[in-house]
Amino acid sequence: MKTRILASAVSISVLAAIAGGISASAADLKQLKEQGFARIAIANEPPYTAVGADGKVSGAAPDVARVIFERLGIKEVVASISEYGAMIPGLQAGRHDAITAGLFMKQERCNAVAYSEPILCDAEAFALRKGNPLKLTSYKDIANNTNAKIGAPGGGTEEKLALQAGVPRERVIVVPDGQSGIKMLQDGRIDVYSLPVLSIHDLLDKAKDPNLEVVAPVVGAPVYCDGAAFRKQDVALRDAFDGELKKLKESGEFAKLIEPYGFSAKAAMSTTRDKQCTAAQ
Amino acid sequence: MEWDWDFVWQIMPTLLEGFKITLLATVLGAAVAAVIGLGLAIVRRSPITAVSRTVGFVSEFIRGTPLLVQLYFIFYVLPDIGIRLSPLVAGVIGIGVHYATYTAEVYRAGIENVPRGQWEAAKAANLTTRQAWIHVILPQAVPPMIPALANYFIAMFKETPLLSAITVLELMNQAKSIANSNYRYIEPMTLVGVFFLVVSLISVLGLRWLEERYARMDD
Repeated sequence: MKTRILASAVSISVLAAIAGGISASAADLKQLKEQGFARIAIANEPPYTAVGADGKVSGAAPDVARVIFERLGIKEVVASISEYGAMIPGLQAGRHDAITAGLFMKQERCNAVAYSEPILCDAEAFALRKGNPLKLTSYKDIANNTNAKIGAPGGGTEEKLALQAGVPRERVIVVPDGQSGIKMLQDGRIDVYSLPVLSIHDLLDKAKDPNLEVVAPVVGAPVYCDGAAFRKQDVALRDAFDGELKKLKESGEFAKLIEPYGFSAKAAMSTTRDKQCTAAQ
Repeated sequence: MEWDWDFVWQIMPTLLEGFKITLLATVLGAAVAAVIGLGLAIVRRSPITAVSRTVGFVSEFIRGTPLLVQLYFIFYVLPDIGIRLSPLVAGVIGIGVHYATYTAEVYRAGIENVPRGQWEAAKAANLTTRQAWIHVILPQAVPPMIPALANYFIAMFKETPLLSAITVLELMNQAKSIANSNYRYIEPMTLVGVFFLVVSLISVLGLRWLEERYARMDD
């Protein structure tokens, strides 16, 4: 009898702990400090976000986030890899405290999350077969060529740009990751693989395939900037993040963090969240 | 976390598009599994040991490795040796061959259940092996297997979301892409579940009917 009571007491406390975990999903700075880490969502798309063979998380976006969270008194960031499209739902569901993955600011995303000020800016690029046999330099060109198939990450900016330009759904192939994208391009399953300029360069440098080339920047596609994304109700946390980000930018450390990855600190500092969120797209 | 009916109606046409592909993949996959499975079962009974052993090993191999790995292999690795299949064809072959190794066992059980005397009678009536198979053995062996086969086809239907991993735009993939662009999972994923449930329930009723019609034939 005693053991049964003990068992039920244990199970009740476990339940309470689980329930506590759920209610703690809305993060504030104090809680994050106490638990000592923040959970961030990343992709695995160098140079934005990268996970080494040893499991070490790097890339420009997590690096900036790590420094800022440290200054806010949160010692560690715990990263989980996610699809771009699943990041905002994951954030809303309390699986992450912030998204630091090169998730570009777009109006609909700005409505769904609270972005920090801009961090990483980049234009869009195409990887395609040598000589650009289909003569594709813009998303519109792909829409107009009824044979051209474009690969893009699911729920990413490029998929949306392609659909907006009028490429029908069945010619926009959702590619799970960069390596499969290059493989599908080499195999002729897709004619174009679209990612931001720096990501495409990084992938092609690794692929070392002389039969592929890059079109960058894509004609008519805007330059986008990402920011760290927080839940709408976590504006206080976002503001604290912004405060440290501003100091980083002013001290020049920001440039030191992101420029080795190829990003321009000037581009991020010359624009603002408000401009990026309201830009006509 | 509120349910939005407007959103449901808005995404329904896209989901139905995906559902068509899901059904298509299931029907084609079932056809492949039914035909190749029968082939495997017959070849496995071959009197030439080398042949029956090889086929046995190949089916053990396919059954012992995950379907997802096989799909990746067909889709991403075969192009290296010059075989480039469209996503749907790759998916149908993958799922069809995988399930063929299971249906082969059903066929084998059915065939072995035909009494030896039938073979002897066929031989005594001077039928060739081919005639014996087509006119004597299979007509008796197939009906009792139908419910078991149908069972595998329902299981296969429920495995089709794996095809989303090789970029087939079936129901699951459509739902994922809807969720990706609208930041809402509850409606698309619930509807995917409902679609599968409805078809499975109907299939279960059909299966019961098949069982009553065929399985107890010799009672």
